[in-house]
Amino acid sequence: MYQINDRQIDFILDDIRRRGIEMEDLQLNLLDHVCCIIEQNLSQDGDFEDFYKKTIPKFCKSELWEIEEETINLLIFKHYYTMKKIMIYSGAFGAFATLVGASFKVMHWPGASILMLLGIAFMSLIFLPIMFTLKIKEKQNTKDKLILATGSIAATLVGLTSLFKIMHWPGASILLSVTLSIVLLIFLPLYFISGIKNPETKVNTIVTSVLILAGTGLSMVLPKSAPSLTLSKATVNYMRNENLTLNTIKALVKPDSLNQANIETYNAFMQSADKLKRRHH
Amino acid sequence: MYSSELIKGTLKTIVLKLLAEHKKMYGYEITQMVKEITKDKIQITEGALYPTLHALEAEGILITETEFIGKRVRKYYSLSPEGKKLTKEKLSEFADFMNTMKFLLDIKPKQA
Repeated sequence: MYQINDRQIDFILDDIRRRGIEMEDLQLNLLDHVCCIIEQNLSQDGDFEDFYKKTIPKFCKSELWEIEEETINLLIFKHYYTMKKIMIYSGAFGAFATLVGASFKVMHWPGASILMLLGIAFMSLIFLPIMFTLKIKEKQNTKDKLILATGSIAATLVGLTSLFKIMHWPGASILLSVTLSIVLLIFLPLYFISGIKNPETKVNTIVTSVLILAGTGLSMVLPKSAPSLTLSKATVNYMRNENLTLNTIKALVKPDSLNQANIETYNAFMQSADKLKRRHH
Repeated sequence: MYSSELIKGTLKTIVLKLLAEHKKMYGYEITQMVKEITKDKIQITEGALYPTLHALEAEGILITETEFIGKRVRKYYSLSPEGKKLTKEKLSEFADFMNTMKFLLDIKPKQA
């Protein structure tokens, strides 16, 4: 029976770490295991280093860090069902809150912003990351993993960008350009090329790619064509700067000088100007 | 030697059963015991054993205690109360599974 000395223990522990085992528990377990094997099987005057080098490869298929990877996989799998449940609920809530928030926004009802904020936050920060963690394990080759990764990042960014835009937070435009470049320059080519090669996914890929392209195209154009609010803001500012009150406008423009068709337009303008003025004060 | 796929599916049950019988064991001891009982027919690899042990510990099925042996640390595993319950379940599940497989694959007992 071989007697292992302290220097050799340090050597083995160092080597286990060098081979990519980072979890301390696992390091100690493997260390004790190797020591046991050596002590049981090596004769008293045997060659320690040679025996050690032959023993370690028997632990795994090719690299020692596979053991750590497998351990982590099993530890994640333990949470698999909880994660899946959280994913489904956060996704459902996120979609629901975003939709309700958007319709509130259209109707100018209170609570729209907070609903959209919650909805998009749930979608981008909880649902998508969990989906990514669960799905990545199902993908076998590197290319599929890459597509899933860029896709998840892009989707998260799309959510965050729209949130920034809706909330008028600073940095929205930069975020938009980053998002669009990731979608158009990295994700879409990868997705398209890999999907079109497979006859089963060919049609699906083409349809989805066209939809994504249309979506990104719209998001490039839409933020620039929202003139109504800017225009009415400008009107109010102009009126304020010129010290024009509604009454002076009324005095300047005599209703009886207008024909019947113009009167309605004039009244509508007066009402909305009044409303805007009250809002901005 | 059986294929690693077969062993992988039963490893948890094997470990639980051994711990139920021997109170506390460490990794190397488990591999040697399995080897001995099965007369070398089943050899548990380190790459399969330790991930399983760590996962079972994280799930609260196994509890551990450490012992210093000179400069190195030995980690002993034993069943938690929950683990004892699970062992019974796993064993009866496996017995049931074997009967089903016998029926499914139409395996007849070897004739002497």
